Amino acid sequence: MSLKKQDEMDHNAWLKNQDLTVIETAFLTTLIWLDKRLRIVDYLELLETMYYRANLQMPKSHTEQYDLDNKFWYWYPLYSLGSLSIIAYLVAAVSGALLGFYYAPSTAGAAAQGDPTAAYDSLVMIMKDVQFGYMLRSIHRWAAQFMVAAVFLHMLRVYFTGSYKEPREVNWILGIVLIGLTLLFGFSGYVLPWKQLSFWAAQIGVEMALATPLVGEWAAQLLFGGFTLGQATLVRMYILHVFVLPFVVTGLIALHVGIVWVQGIAEPH
Amino acid sequence: MTDGGTDADARTDGGPPAAVPPDDETPTWTERKEHSQGLAQLTYQYFERSRREDEDLRAESTYVERDVLGFPTWPHETLRNFAITSFFVGIMILVAALMPAHFGEPANPGATPAIILPDWYLYWSFGLLKLNPLNPQLAVLGGNIVMSNELLGIVAHGIIFGIIGLVPFLNKGSARRPVEQPFWAAVGVTGVILAFTLAALAIQNFFPISLDLLLTLTFMLPVLGGILTYAVLKTMREGYMYDLNRRYYMLRPPK
Repeated sequence: MSLKKQDEMDHNAWLKNQDLTVIETAFLTTLIWLDKRLRIVDYLELLETMYYRANLQMPKSHTEQYDLDNKFWYWYPLYSLGSLSIIAYLVAAVSGALLGFYYAPSTAGAAAQGDPTAAYDSLVMIMKDVQFGYMLRSIHRWAAQFMVAAVFLHMLRVYFTGSYKEPREVNWILGIVLIGLTLLFGFSGYVLPWKQLSFWAAQIGVEMALATPLVGEWAAQLLFGGFTLGQATLVRMYILHVFVLPFVVTGLIALHVGIVWVQGIAEPH
Repeated sequence: MTDGGTDADARTDGGPPAAVPPDDETPTWTERKEHSQGLAQLTYQYFERSRREDEDLRAESTYVERDVLGFPTWPHETLRNFAITSFFVGIMILVAALMPAHFGEPANPGATPAIILPDWYLYWSFGLLKLNPLNPQLAVLGGNIVMSNELLGIVAHGIIFGIIGLVPFLNKGSARRPVEQPFWAAVGVTGVILAFTLAALAIQNFFPISLDLLLTLTFMLPVLGGILTYAVLKTMREGYMYDLNRRYYMLRPPK
């Protein structure tokens, strides 16, 4: 039994009826061929719906609404802190990727306690041998500090302008998660050079993890690779800092900004 | 080649007994798409009600949307954003060049350094880990502490994050400026000062103050700041209300 096409569904006849150029015919033929197999038209419809949803008319801004005299909005820098934290994040991401070309996450090579490990040596190499390596590391550190500062000040701005109120509570909670992840970013990056401060700050981290009730030992194993610090810890911090956290934080930032896009900025009145 | 099947129990082509024919209660495709039962029905009932609510609000409101009359994205907004971004990245590069990153000694598991500190933004967290003298001791337990000192640190973190997360569910309304919400602004100032005092607690070695006094200050200064903020904002409210209603006062001067 074969499926008989109804007459109006005979696409080939329809194509021939119209006067199409070669390119148009080729395009349409390809589209029909793909659509029969992959239902392209459904995705196009989805895209169209999303386009119109995302490009709704912008409501009038504060200035336009009330036709204010003072068209220079001196609070603008406070409202740009969110964007600035994303810019700092991007700078840190790029400089971090470049640093990752030279960094080695290994505690090998310490003949005695207190000797430089491979990780520490790779950092010395970055600072001394790599062209502008010291500059790269410096940029990475400062971009990270700027991001944390911008994120904190952004949170303060949102708090004091009451922009977390209904219907923006979810975004507030998401922001809390993001600032926690940013601090985790900073902590994991701090551990990577495997210096004295790195080691002992991580040591305190392990003790805190172990002190948590119920999930303490599991958390210590997951985050620090055991109850004593060593190669396992360094590798986990490295994977956290370089692989897990970038994906998670980027996705959550996109979600956070997406919610702001959909709900609109909570302008002060 | 099909040959009718030799074993009625081992069909692999989707026919019976693998395919169970639907019973009378199974809805047909059309019936399913009508959304006449269960959760789908409730969902679409709410859907239509909320569309109706939107229509009513649109009809009632006096708010006018204007057709695409805004600050042009290209080239104005693009250039403005690019300028701001370049400025900010330039500041970061300048600061990175002027104040390069610090380098220290390699890790030595056998030698605990005198000063252990994380980066500056984690000082507040570090301070929360130094609240040992505040660990509650219950007389019931014979003067023993309820939880270990480390657990106290973790619980303190949980309390702070919990309070911050709860704020939107406690502070409702349309207030958008501190002067319109003096209580919550005071709570906010308390929190910010607490962050700073906790950070000071973390680097207490640099302060020539006794630990007891420092601990007291850690929690009293924020409360003090909060009360001060509340007082100042409440005082400012009268002026703010006057400012908002100036035109009205001009027509109707106060007695």
